[in-house]
Amino acid sequence: MSNKNSRKTRTNPWSYRDGTIVTVAILSLGFAIQAASGGIVIRIAGFPWNLVAGLIFLAILLSAFVLWRKHRAMKWLGSVKAALPAILGFTFLVLLMGFVKQDVEPKNALSRLFGLTHLIKTWPFILINLYLLILLGIATLKRLTPFNLKNTGFFLNHFGLFLVLFSTALGSSDMQRLSMNCYKNQDVNLAVDASGKSVEMPFTVKLLNFTIDEFRPKVTIIETKTGQPFSEKVKERFELMDRDSFNISGFRINVVKFLENSGKVGDSFEAWNEPGSAPSAKVRVTNLTNHSEISGWICSGSFANPAQVLELNDQLSLAMLPAEPRKFSSELDIQAKNGKRVATTIEVNHPFKMDGWMIYQQGYNTEMGRWSNLNVLELVRDPWLPIVYLGIFLMMAGAGFLFFTGKPKNGGTNHVA
Amino acid sequence: MEGLIMWLDFPVYASAAILCWLAASGLFLTSGKKLMNQMAAGLSAAGTTFLLVFIVILWIHIQRPPMRTLGETRLWYAIFISAIGLASYLRWKYKWLVSYSLGLAMVFLIINLQHPETYDKTLMPALQSPWFIPHVIVYIFAYAMLGASSLVALRNLFFVPTEKTIQGAIQMADNLVYLGFSFLTLGLLFGALWAKEAWGHYWTWDPKETWAFITWMFYLVYIHYRFRHPSEHKKAMAILTASFAILLICWFGVNYLPSAENSVHVYSE
Repeated sequence: MSNKNSRKTRTNPWSYRDGTIVTVAILSLGFAIQAASGGIVIRIAGFPWNLVAGLIFLAILLSAFVLWRKHRAMKWLGSVKAALPAILGFTFLVLLMGFVKQDVEPKNALSRLFGLTHLIKTWPFILINLYLLILLGIATLKRLTPFNLKNTGFFLNHFGLFLVLFSTALGSSDMQRLSMNCYKNQDVNLAVDASGKSVEMPFTVKLLNFTIDEFRPKVTIIETKTGQPFSEKVKERFELMDRDSFNISGFRINVVKFLENSGKVGDSFEAWNEPGSAPSAKVRVTNLTNHSEISGWICSGSFANPAQVLELNDQLSLAMLPAEPRKFSSELDIQAKNGKRVATTIEVNHPFKMDGWMIYQQGYNTEMGRWSNLNVLELVRDPWLPIVYLGIFLMMAGAGFLFFTGKPKNGGTNHVA
Repeated sequence: MEGLIMWLDFPVYASAAILCWLAASGLFLTSGKKLMNQMAAGLSAAGTTFLLVFIVILWIHIQRPPMRTLGETRLWYAIFISAIGLASYLRWKYKWLVSYSLGLAMVFLIINLQHPETYDKTLMPALQSPWFIPHVIVYIFAYAMLGASSLVALRNLFFVPTEKTIQGAIQMADNLVYLGFSFLTLGLLFGALWAKEAWGHYWTWDPKETWAFITWMFYLVYIHYRFRHPSEHKKAMAILTASFAILLICWFGVNYLPSAENSVHVYSE
């Protein structure tokens, strides 16, 4: 049986061999054009040209399918024999991306010539994408006419992927990602793109307040001389200061007093809520081996104040680490050109949508920590997103079909037109 | 932290769940009777319910969704993996599959019992998203299924089966790949939707994304190959084994690749 199959593929004029030849030809052509063009990165034309090109592509695909659907070549384009080599060709490119670090300056002449460090912006990548789109489109059309309910899963998976590839490829040039520096109580309506060019936004943003919620800080035992952690091997190297007492590396720590915001006054710390204040704690430490006790203050320090450690013996000290952020949030007052005005709070994972722009919390002055007066917002506009999402949701539904129906009986060949 | 008091009760709920699941697995693996299988399914659901009750009480107690600490996320893994295992059993009737999922779920509970310090281990803000748990769970399940499929593949490659026995074995490999692949796709897509919420773009070719995509493509090759060549078993099994090797690179190996510096997916602890 297997012998018969392989012989058939060798003699059949539209077979795997042709699929392989076409795929290899596309990749070689792509790399050749890339090398000939001097290794420049490609940008697909922006609106409206990408839309026009997309519509022309769809029109050609549809009419070619209607005109020549009975032709052997057309049947082949919608078959696994063409698809498998194409998938492998695409996988080859993505594997290259998996090994060669992307979006960096090319390290050698070869990378520069073939654009290996910016593969998604090169000719081979774009051509193989186009080829996959043609194959996916024809496979979808083939199964769609006449429509059979049993092909629902096939349709969802293939057309979903078609939409995702189609809209990400065409939409890439319409997508804008900008960053905006906001200082407290200042109106800003300029943002900069990756190349540093200023872009005027259709709205003004004013940062009213920026807050960082912090987890309670952790403590650790360090070697006094080096400042390095005492032992890498001990399992409980760090402990969160959220209990009144706990053990760490052979010491028992009792937290006598914990101050979330404090400053040093003489030899001790007091509650103090100004820029540069830091968490501190008064602790009583018991050495679990010889039961000696020692008390004192520890503080993680900040940009304005040095850290304070508590010496436990000749070699070891107890230190408090800087608190880790639990939540960043920015209160913004946004005023659109058309007069619309909104007050909102954004956080990581909770962006805000305004006139086609998504506003993300991106960064702040990390040295100043929660006293940072600078807040960096990321602004993203991606008009093709709804089509990408439609494709993603179709694919999700398709995944559901895969789960429930499993592998089609008889290899699924029953429902192939 | 706030919920630590509640966690004192955790060993009770966890032991109840583990006992139910052990009993369920025992029944599934030893008995062939329909009634016994139904009882086993019931016990498996009961174990999941114990955890569900715990997490609801915990949720009410701490007044926020318990999705913020490492210990909390492991609870969800245990709940969903046991539930998905049972659902897959109800659909596909592989008894070992549900025992396998219950085993995985138990591992998560036992890790939690052994590391009470992780109940309050902090998660960075970007991970505090409703997408985090579904994203991780579907991946764990996908990896588990695909791992199982490659075991089947290896067995078929080395213990040459007869033409008669291969049908059942290869059908099992196919079903596992379809189950695993559907979850792999969901994991990829959940990740994309989450990335859009957290980082502004749904796909940035981060090295982990790139390798997840390569893994996805390899299983895609297997599925298409099987579709067209239902009788080329050996080659299909070889593709499946290679795919799993890629999956392992994606899972563990990416952290060591030079291309992966600064990836958001490189977990340092």
